[in-house]
Amino acid sequence: MGTRDVRRTEIPPGTLDMLILKTLSRGPMHGYGIAEHIHQMSEDVLEVEEGSLYPALQRLLIQGWVSAEWGQSANNRRARFYRLTKAGRKQLDHELSEFQRVIRAIGRVIQTA
Amino acid sequence: MGKLWRKLLFLIRRSQFDRDLEDEICTHLEMKAGAGGGTVDARYAARRKFGNTMLLREQSREMWGWAWLETLAQDLRYTFRMLRRSPGFTAVAVLTLALGIGANTAVFSVVDTVLLRPLPYPDSERLVQMWSTKANTNRWGIWTAYPRFLDWRRLATRFEDMAAVRFWVINLSGGDHPEALHVVVTSSRLFQVLRVQPLLGRTFLPEEDQPGHDHVIILSHGLWQRRFGSDPTVIGRAVDIDQQSYTVIGVMPPGFRFPPDLTASWSIDAWLPPAPDPSRNERESNNYYVVARLKPGITVAQAQAEMDAIHHGLAERHWEDRDLGVKVAGWQQQVGSEVRPALMILLGAISLVLLIACANVANLLLARGAVRQREAALRQALGAGRARLIRQLLTESVLLATFGGTAGLLLAYQGLRLFIQLAPDIPRLNETAIDPRVLLFSAVLTLGTGLIFGVVPAWQGSKMDLQNALKESGSRLTGSSDRARVRSSLVIAEMALALMLLAGACLLLRSFLNVEQIDPGFNAKNLLTAFVMLSPAKYPDPRSQAAFFREVIDRIASIPGVECAGGADSAPMLTNDAGTVSIEGHEARPGEQVIQAERPKITPDYFRAMGMRLVRGRTFTWADNESSLPVAMINEAAAREYWPNADAMGRRVKLEDGSAPVWRQVIGIVGDVRQDGLVEAARPEVYAPLLQSPVPYLALAVRTRVEPAALTGAIRHGVMAIDKDQPVLQIQTMQQVVSDSVAGRRFQMALMALFASLALALAAIGIYGLMSYSVSQRTHEIGIRMALGAKREEVLLLVVGQGLLLAAGGVALGIGGALILTRFLASLLFGVGPNDPVTFAGVSLLAVSVAAVGSLIPAWRAARIDPMEALRYE
Repeated sequence: MGTRDVRRTEIPPGTLDMLILKTLSRGPMHGYGIAEHIHQMSEDVLEVEEGSLYPALQRLLIQGWVSAEWGQSANNRRARFYRLTKAGRKQLDHELSEFQRVIRAIGRVIQTA
Repeated sequence: MGKLWRKLLFLIRRSQFDRDLEDEICTHLEMKAGAGGGTVDARYAARRKFGNTMLLREQSREMWGWAWLETLAQDLRYTFRMLRRSPGFTAVAVLTLALGIGANTAVFSVVDTVLLRPLPYPDSERLVQMWSTKANTNRWGIWTAYPRFLDWRRLATRFEDMAAVRFWVINLSGGDHPEALHVVVTSSRLFQVLRVQPLLGRTFLPEEDQPGHDHVIILSHGLWQRRFGSDPTVIGRAVDIDQQSYTVIGVMPPGFRFPPDLTASWSIDAWLPPAPDPSRNERESNNYYVVARLKPGITVAQAQAEMDAIHHGLAERHWEDRDLGVKVAGWQQQVGSEVRPALMILLGAISLVLLIACANVANLLLARGAVRQREAALRQALGAGRARLIRQLLTESVLLATFGGTAGLLLAYQGLRLFIQLAPDIPRLNETAIDPRVLLFSAVLTLGTGLIFGVVPAWQGSKMDLQNALKESGSRLTGSSDRARVRSSLVIAEMALALMLLAGACLLLRSFLNVEQIDPGFNAKNLLTAFVMLSPAKYPDPRSQAAFFREVIDRIASIPGVECAGGADSAPMLTNDAGTVSIEGHEARPGEQVIQAERPKITPDYFRAMGMRLVRGRTFTWADNESSLPVAMINEAAAREYWPNADAMGRRVKLEDGSAPVWRQVIGIVGDVRQDGLVEAARPEVYAPLLQSPVPYLALAVRTRVEPAALTGAIRHGVMAIDKDQPVLQIQTMQQVVSDSVAGRRFQMALMALFASLALALAAIGIYGLMSYSVSQRTHEIGIRMALGAKREEVLLLVVGQGLLLAAGGVALGIGGALILTRFLASLLFGVGPNDPVTFAGVSLLAVSVAAVGSLIPAWRAARIDPMEALRYE
């Protein structure tokens, strides 16, 4: 099937939503932009599969945490921009604090090794 | 909630969503390609890394949660196409289901109205009926006497309100013709008990119970429309009732019906206060029934306890109450109680018919399933799970059932109208309609039916036997033996159910024929009956009453075509006049039971007109009048009961009915008649001459030489010639009366016979279907047999034998089931036991014969198979 890119790492399950919401907290963005942003900000560690990105975006739309509308991209292409809603912002805060709580707990377990 | 809203929006904008996603993916790809350099290679690389767009699209769509709806829609469309492609199958299945579901809906509708639905009054569950019971036999039915009711009303504390009613007939004159009205005579609080408001005017005041204030009348809506032209100024108007002036004080609303179990054959025209007759001992006339409303929180048991205590106290002071008890029961349960067993049996029977119909349709589906197995295997090979297949097949069944159910509703509607027309007097029947409750029942039944008959074919049709099914020669499918077993079991089950219904129907039929054979004690052929009720104002004293009736009888007897005429104040199977008698030498002492008997007052030719036998002595003549020796006649039952070891002739009896009872001498004995109906045994009767004990109403008995119905007009004219304002009521032939008395039994028998025939027909169709299929499967084998020398007759016998084997299995199973179930019929049977062997043998023979006929056609086809063709057949 060809050589796998060594840098490709799976995004931990359940965190994709949080990453997308965090990305959008910096401003509205289209799908490709979100994927690229996550890829770059994680220093090429995390690569978002399109097959999981778009379904995740649908989920966020259903929950009302993001909204979408068509607009012009940087290259004057017609693209669909996603924007964080107020509810989405609250959800982001909630998920961030949850995530950090879990990380700290894991950290405690690992440290006492 | 915003979530739900967004989801619904998605549903509407589905195609827009698809387009948006399409565009988004395009843009994404372009951007990716652009990032990689914008070359063709970069574009292809981008596409490869993008992955499976189809999958992405599907997953994105699925997020919105409507996947189940889409698969359902898909299944429905598919099923529609399949059903359209085989119209014959669809038609047969839908018709079978329509019959089953429709019939069940109709019967349930009746059961719901008559047994389940609350009475049409507010808070009807607190309404009760009260009546006096006879200590040993409870034969009084639901009546009590007015003075006793007054005591009850005075003494009871656990009731909000109480009212006593009785049915009567009055003559309304004025206008262009006099009219006899059916009325309810009631104490003042009836409408308070029922909590019903009048449409116009008011209801009774408490003082209107008493003489002097009681000439008021409340009209029914029907009477108001018919006779008074819906005139709103009718309140306060005077009307002529029985030659006396009554004031109209109110009109009831159109939907009001009292009592609720009155059938459509006659309706109540008006309500009147009671007119107590001080001359009679009214405490003995048990002709009122009492309805009452319990106080909130009081149960029927508590009310019963209080009434028992009250009754105890009353019985000590009044000899008429000594022999009686008192019963309190919920009104709604009472109303349907007589017909409940019969209705439940009908419901059970029609449910069995539905099961048979389900089995037939299941068989049809199984047969089709065999043909579609290749298609099913293909779908499974392409990745459909078994659950998915089952779901699709069940969708098919439920859709078929829905078609059947819808058609069934139409059938039910028509069937109900027919039922209401043809049925005998079933309480509350005319309230029956297809209302939301019935519709809900029908919907649930339809769904259940679809699942029941669909589950077996769905299970079979989704079996994963891919290898065999996909092979070219897969026509002789290995799953077929399994399938054949299932189909055979279904047919056997059908036969069993049909046999049970046949047994029940046959038992009822025999019972009915037995009852029809019973001799009622009089000759109902060429006998007319009619009622004449004199208004007390016009004929106030007994002499004028007796004289009037004598003249009427003489005049009628002289009509050409009339052989003789007589009259009595009661008629068998129509009315009665029971009360206390005293036997000389056996006077009842305080504390002892009083003797009850029928005490008709008759004219001299009564027995001759009725065709009753004179056993001993002589009948009355017009010479037995008020100035001659008081005489009486008795029937054989009375002779047996009161003088079992002695001669009754010459003995003396006294009819304790109020004014001044005298000792009468028995001068004759007549044969028994069945007063209460053909089935109930005759009760003792003590007859007195009308001239010696006059009454203001008479039931005529007219024996004719010609067709009785032809003389109806002549009789009416005969009476009106004497008094032009005197209407004659309910002229009918006694044959009609006797027939009506068994109308309920006849109707039930007819319905059961209909259901049983339906069941048998369905079972026969089931056998026919299975045999046809079996023959077509075994064509190859039959061809071999014939090639090896088997004769046509042998092949015929082979197939019929197979059918008979199935039938025998079904019959055996059915007999077992019938032996258990027919005991529920026991209360309806007469002269034949629930496990009557002759009946069972007969229906078994019938069932097996029908099965043989059902197998005959396929057998005939099998016998005509050309071996050459068959051997080539794959």
